Amino acid sequence: MMRGLSRRDARLFGRAREHFDWALFLCACVLAVIGVINLYSATSVSKAALSEVYIQQVYWLVLGGILATVVAAIDYRHFERLGYVLYGLGIILLLLVFVLGKDIRGSSRWIYIGSFSFQPSEFMKLFLVIALAKYLHDDPKSEGRKLVDLLIPTVIAAVPMVLILKQPDLGTALILGLIFATICLLTKIQWRSVVTLIVSAGIALPLAWSYVLKDYQKKRITDFLNPDANILGSGWHAHHARIAIGAGGVVGEGFMRGTQNQYLFLPDQHSDFPFAVYAEDWGFIGCVLLVLLYAFLVLWSLRIAATAKDRFGAVLAVGVGALMFWHAFFNLGMVTGILPVVGVTLPLFSAGGSSVLTIMIGIGLLMNVSMRRFYQSG
Amino acid sequence: MSNLLVPRSDVGEFRRRYRWMALVAALAFLGVLIRLFQLQIVKGHSYAQIAHENIIRRVTTQTTRGVIRDAQSRVLASSRPGYNVYLVPGRVMPSARPVRRGVSLDDRDTFPRIAEALRLNPDERTRITETIRNACVTDEDRSPCWRPIRVREDLSRDIVAELKQHPQETAGAEIIQLPVRYYPFKNLGAHMLGYVAEIDGETLKRYRPEGWEDLLPEERQKVNPMGYEPGDILGATGIERAWESYLRGQRGWEKRVVDARGRYRSGPDEERLLDQPTRQDPIPGRDLRLTVDMDLMQAIEKAMRQHEAGAVVVVDVRTGRLLALYSKPDYDENDLAGGGGRERISDTFSALYKNDDRPLLDKTMSGAFQPGSTFKPFSALAGLEAHLIDPEETERCDGIRFEYKRVFHCTHVHGKVNMRGAIAQSCNLYFFTLAESVGMDRIARVASEFGLGQKTGLGINPESAGRIPTRAWYALRNKGQFVKGFTFNMSIGQGATTVTPLQLALAYAALANGGTVYMPEVVRAVETSDGAVVQDFPPRVRQKAKIQPENLSRVADALAAVVNDEKGTAYPVRDAALEVAGKTGTAQTGYVATAKDDPKRAWYFERDHAWFAAFAPIKSPEIAVIVLVEHGGSGPTQAAPVAMQIVKDYQRIQREQKAPPTAKKPGATP
Repeated sequence: MMRGLSRRDARLFGRAREHFDWALFLCACVLAVIGVINLYSATSVSKAALSEVYIQQVYWLVLGGILATVVAAIDYRHFERLGYVLYGLGIILLLLVFVLGKDIRGSSRWIYIGSFSFQPSEFMKLFLVIALAKYLHDDPKSEGRKLVDLLIPTVIAAVPMVLILKQPDLGTALILGLIFATICLLTKIQWRSVVTLIVSAGIALPLAWSYVLKDYQKKRITDFLNPDANILGSGWHAHHARIAIGAGGVVGEGFMRGTQNQYLFLPDQHSDFPFAVYAEDWGFIGCVLLVLLYAFLVLWSLRIAATAKDRFGAVLAVGVGALMFWHAFFNLGMVTGILPVVGVTLPLFSAGGSSVLTIMIGIGLLMNVSMRRFYQSG
Repeated sequence: MSNLLVPRSDVGEFRRRYRWMALVAALAFLGVLIRLFQLQIVKGHSYAQIAHENIIRRVTTQTTRGVIRDAQSRVLASSRPGYNVYLVPGRVMPSARPVRRGVSLDDRDTFPRIAEALRLNPDERTRITETIRNACVTDEDRSPCWRPIRVREDLSRDIVAELKQHPQETAGAEIIQLPVRYYPFKNLGAHMLGYVAEIDGETLKRYRPEGWEDLLPEERQKVNPMGYEPGDILGATGIERAWESYLRGQRGWEKRVVDARGRYRSGPDEERLLDQPTRQDPIPGRDLRLTVDMDLMQAIEKAMRQHEAGAVVVVDVRTGRLLALYSKPDYDENDLAGGGGRERISDTFSALYKNDDRPLLDKTMSGAFQPGSTFKPFSALAGLEAHLIDPEETERCDGIRFEYKRVFHCTHVHGKVNMRGAIAQSCNLYFFTLAESVGMDRIARVASEFGLGQKTGLGINPESAGRIPTRAWYALRNKGQFVKGFTFNMSIGQGATTVTPLQLALAYAALANGGTVYMPEVVRAVETSDGAVVQDFPPRVRQKAKIQPENLSRVADALAAVVNDEKGTAYPVRDAALEVAGKTGTAQTGYVATAKDDPKRAWYFERDHAWFAAFAPIKSPEIAVIVLVEHGGSGPTQAAPVAMQIVKDYQRIQREQKAPPTAKKPGATP
């Protein structure tokens, strides 16, 4: 087995230059560079407290790049083989959060190992994608799927979602749900099943509102529905983000010159709201460039999926693409005020080790699938 | 192993979905772009405006209140630095703020340390803690959480130093330096100068009526030209109040860049953000130079030391300028000007209200008193002007006269007296006879010629008009019953006749200067803070008494006799070295003690007011001096010596000021 692997891989690396997905690589690099530059601007004002953030982000990106290379080099079919093992590992980590987690601002999401901390819920997104890909890979169907056929994937998605909601972390649970839904839509589902799903969702939502959502989470949603009612209270984030974005105008106020950020009117400017800083500094022109980069990343991952040689690769690429899409769309929508404020990071823009590593590994997986599309079957 | 080599699965199931997914993703990003277009391009300008307003704050810059100086340029009222300490609730007690994402809670509470430095007692501590907690219910921009609250006024310098020495441990405590009005002469001249006080709600409402916030800037300027704001200090009494518009000055403003926590930022980046105009400089208040001489005031205070209550007015008879305005008892204005905090003000006021000598009343102009015999020269002039008396003709005084079942007493049995003797010896009976033939209205007309019974228009404190009764006034008051006794009483300055010491001073000045009644003047000039004269007030004549000069000189001669004739009432207390003319007065107060009165004090309040009205020197008069000793008992023995001492001190001060300054610095002379 080892001999076979090494022989094929040698063949692969031999053709690495022609198989390498330069578009994906460049797009990710440009996003990461802009992201670091923007973090520098976003945290420049806070002097001591946040001055390390952009440097740490660089460290995380370097580490993420190494991991991505490793992930891209290993044939993704090894991940297919280990799919459920990885998933199980993720679930164990999520359970560990309840034991080892530290309470920060009313929710425990982190595991601390020495001075190093990480958020298992971030990595769970990738493990979920791998597990779902594994399941769909092993369960090919030519006619439409019934609800029963989706039962196991639903359970696979529901377990981590419930664990994450318990933390509580609405944003991450939401992203998991959306990734799951996207992957389901990839499959052929019977119309009857779709209707049943929609109806049951209609019943579940009010129940979720009453029993699952915390007060602060409800508040964010009501604030979104009525944005001007509580400018000084919980609508503060959205209100000031809108002002900052609008103040950017066409060409922006210039690098590190966005007044709303420099004078502390933007909260969470390095974690959830870096786009507001970017929009204020670089204006509409800069925003168009950034949005196009994200759109390209998402569409490119769909292209990778379409050219994948097997079901696992295709679902993997769609899953990672969905991860990128929902993160980008939810964050941009939240910051510009077309979606409620839920703590969803902007890929490669938001500061944070777990988030950066997840995205980088995701890009490694995409690269992996992309590079192996040229396999000759048999 | 072979599993890895052969792709086993069919990807056909997914084929049709990619396009739909791509379309949905593209539309979603397009939606984001449309939203960005709306925010940044359609509404960009208005958001830019809001963003600008968020970081620019107009800060008012304080002006300095004008300095008041006396005739010799000694400072009577100026401003000294006072230190008030304010606490920013959200910064001294971060633990009171609500927990929210993105706000670091590393800051420790500094309030306990500050409370210790300020030496707050436990009650104050709990009260302020409560206030801070209430302010920090929300901690958003411009919420009370970031609005400083005042906790201590006029801190001592060592507490200020302690706070400044430990900026880290006392973060959130702001020391605001505010000028405190300072009166170096303390209580001397208190009534005349007045004091400043924080603007009260009623006054503030007049300048800032309801809906004031909604008015246009021009309308605001019209309603509130001086720009009064809550907490402002303004003149409450005396010159401080009357000349407020000159002393106050005009506030300026400057634009400052602030962050969301209300902290000021400065530097080149910040200057770039300010739009023009960035500032308006404050205009300092004007300085006032008074006509009053504090040397003379000090001499008067000394001369009045043995008396409990009274008033002294010294006026330059050639100009109407007031050289001294003295009212007793007085108070230390520094206690009322806010320097020592609110408690000191209320304590001082309650003590002043309890004092039955009425210390808050400016007796030189706000109090009207019966002038007693000091009124007699005007009765005499009325007789002379009407040609109804021959000044050389004598009347016989038996010391007592019966009229209409009433008894009118004279001070002594004077025997035969002519007009000069009657004034010199203060014979009441002579004036009763005179009044009988001249009549009340003629006397009243002459008194009015000299400005008695009318407000002088000085205007620094509420002025009493006093009263010179006429037959018409009595007719209104007594329903037609008029008895000769009214005229008798009026002719000797008793009964319904009242004057203020200021009126009497100007009237005696007119007697001395040949009949010119001047407008009284206490502010000589308005100056800028660097000493340039902005406005100079020349003497103004109010009216010219229509009196024959020979009659005036005859009365003036009689007034000289009061002091210098052996029989004159003031002769025993005269100073041979001084040339003084004047008239004593002992006025019944009409006070009747009741059971409510403190028996230990009642005898005092039943005692007569003692007057002496004088001018000096006799040949070419310079000043008129009015001394009123309330409940002094007797004019000749109580008031006259005070007036003599004042004239003496005046002449000494004149000599000292005219003399070339003695070489205090020997090395400085060439």
